[in-house]
Amino acid sequence: MTKEILKIDQLTKKYGENTILKDISAEVNDGDIISIIGPSGAGKSTFLRCLTLLEKPTTGTVFLEGEDLTKKTQKEIEHVREKVGMVFQNFNLFPNMTVLKNITLAPVRVKGLTEDEAQKQALELLKQVGLSDKADAYPDNLSGGQRQRVAIARALAMKPDVMLFDEPTSALDPEMVGEVLDVMRELAKSGMTMVVVTHEMGFAQSVSNQIWFMDNADIQEKAAPSDFFSNPKTDRAKEFLSKILVK
Amino acid sequence: MKKIYSLVLIVLVSLMTFGTIFAQEGTKADEKDATYEKIVKRGYIVLGTSPDYAPYEFQTTSNGKSKDVGMDISIAKDIADDLGVKLKIKNMDFDSLLVALQTGKVDMVLSGMNPSAARRKSVDFSDIYYKGGQSIIINKKDSRIYKDKSSFENKKIAAQTGSIQYNLAKKQIKGATVSGIEKGTDLILALQTNKVDGVVMEKPTAEAYASNNSGIKVINGGFELNDDETSTAVAMPKNSPVLQKKINGTIAKINSKNLIPQYLKEAGTYLKGNTANTSMLHYWKYFAMGVGYTILISLVGVIFGFITGTLLALLRLSNSKILRMISTAYVEFVRGTPLMVQLMFVYFGLGLFVNLPALTAGMIAVSLNSGAYIAEVIRGGINSVDGGQLEAAESLGLNKKDRMRYVIMPQALKNIWPALGNEFISLIKESSIVSIIGVTDLIYQLKIVQSDTYRGVAPIVVAMILYFIMTYSLSRLLKFYERKFN
Repeated sequence: MTKEILKIDQLTKKYGENTILKDISAEVNDGDIISIIGPSGAGKSTFLRCLTLLEKPTTGTVFLEGEDLTKKTQKEIEHVREKVGMVFQNFNLFPNMTVLKNITLAPVRVKGLTEDEAQKQALELLKQVGLSDKADAYPDNLSGGQRQRVAIARALAMKPDVMLFDEPTSALDPEMVGEVLDVMRELAKSGMTMVVVTHEMGFAQSVSNQIWFMDNADIQEKAAPSDFFSNPKTDRAKEFLSKILVK
Repeated sequence: MKKIYSLVLIVLVSLMTFGTIFAQEGTKADEKDATYEKIVKRGYIVLGTSPDYAPYEFQTTSNGKSKDVGMDISIAKDIADDLGVKLKIKNMDFDSLLVALQTGKVDMVLSGMNPSAARRKSVDFSDIYYKGGQSIIINKKDSRIYKDKSSFENKKIAAQTGSIQYNLAKKQIKGATVSGIEKGTDLILALQTNKVDGVVMEKPTAEAYASNNSGIKVINGGFELNDDETSTAVAMPKNSPVLQKKINGTIAKINSKNLIPQYLKEAGTYLKGNTANTSMLHYWKYFAMGVGYTILISLVGVIFGFITGTLLALLRLSNSKILRMISTAYVEFVRGTPLMVQLMFVYFGLGLFVNLPALTAGMIAVSLNSGAYIAEVIRGGINSVDGGQLEAAESLGLNKKDRMRYVIMPQALKNIWPALGNEFISLIKESSIVSIIGVTDLIYQLKIVQSDTYRGVAPIVVAMILYFIMTYSLSRLLKFYERKFN
């Protein structure tokens, strides 16, 4: 029996009259690597952000490990977020701190680790993402790929139960995409539960165990990568794949 | 981080202590007739005066310290002696004197003040201690044109704001444009620079100015005067019968001994001593002290303004609608009213409840004022931080306080550093308003030097240069750190 990490029930998000997400239901189980793909404007990022309540759903519920997040107070949400790691398209490293401090801040302030414990853990994580020598550097002096790897380390430092990636390679120069994907692959191998919004079809195909194809404010198709890429069921998915393949 | 906090705290505390020590003593208002008892109990009486009206009251330097002298001061000393208490003198603009009396900042006013009917409504007066005529000062070169008040029809004439002379000119010179100017020295300056054709002034004062300025001359005003308009008396709070009786006693004694001519003569000697050396260099201590206080007030203003401003900005960004409204209202109100009014409100208004020395009141008013402006600067700084920073901090589970403290504020501060510096620079200039309640800042000292030396323009130039040196070096310093920062 697999453990359920996230459960999304009839999630709808509207901005005024604009419906961004329409009545979405889905589950993420422990160990799942889910790639969310689809055309721009499909609502992928908004969907991901709803999972950690950076966006508040208009209606519907999000359960994390059985707890209804939409019923929680702002204060309680802060505790929930410890369990959900988030990696952003634009890294969002804190430019006023060193790499090390970026990683240790939350474990010290939120989890109550001592500075020493947090540093030890941070150095291990930096080693894991291949940036041991950058502990004392400032984010502005790193390349895009390095920044994103630090951002991943920063999220991992909270020992989350699930990692959310919001187009982690979209802002990178092409030659740097690989190093970030490699780190994510390693992470997947280690058994981390991951939800990844991505345009990297190769990654989606080779690493994930499920593809969620989103278009028109909804998940149109959920399938194993082998099925989805060789035999998409919906017309929209066919159309999307044909466009990508032409490219 | 903690070190910096405690350092800032130490600086603040020492500044406040410094301010309190150097501040002039104030007195508290009493509702009823307790003025006399208060004076006796306290052991000193506070005289309010505007020392720019030689020979009544003006300032002179002895051993590098300026002190008030003149006929009124001599009389005030006699009053204090007869009461068996010490005399404390509080200097301020003539206009502020009656308010200061009403709000209990001072116990009595001797400032060449005429006991007019209008003034009698708000304060009590002693018997008259001196009667002088009302004269008009003109430029010597105009001697042929102006003989008395009737020559000034449709001309421009000036007198001290809120004074009897001002009203006389208004009422008794047909068609004349009457300008009110605060300071005696500025009146003479206006005359010498041909801004006005004549200045109405009490006779002895007018003569003192004329004897120190070769270009001007005193003519008889020829005003129709009643007793109120030619005479001078001591003003005191309403309903102080005991004090009034005592002061009248002293005045009777002075009159019986015929001391007034002697006091006037003494004042004349001081005047000569004052005008012996009128080079600006001779008065450097005045200016130095003024610069010191100007910097002190601006520094306190910017530091406390920063603290208030941060608080207000955080309130404004909070989730509570009420807190947001309070902060917005404060900022809008303070930005929508002049600093001068705020200053008078703090000094005289709050002075009714708390005994605030002028310097402290000045610092409070300037801080509260700059707080509103800095709040907007900080709010802008916080808003300028990329939204992704807040999201990243949120997604790491940091609480609101930590998000602000570690992530948002450090970045916001870096953005607003130049704007804060500009606020400091503008405070140096705007704090000059505190001179109206008698804080001895640079503007105040400028006026003192003007009245001491009877030189109008030179002190202005010196003060202007000093202000520029302060603001320019500050802006260079800020540029230097800005470059270092990036």
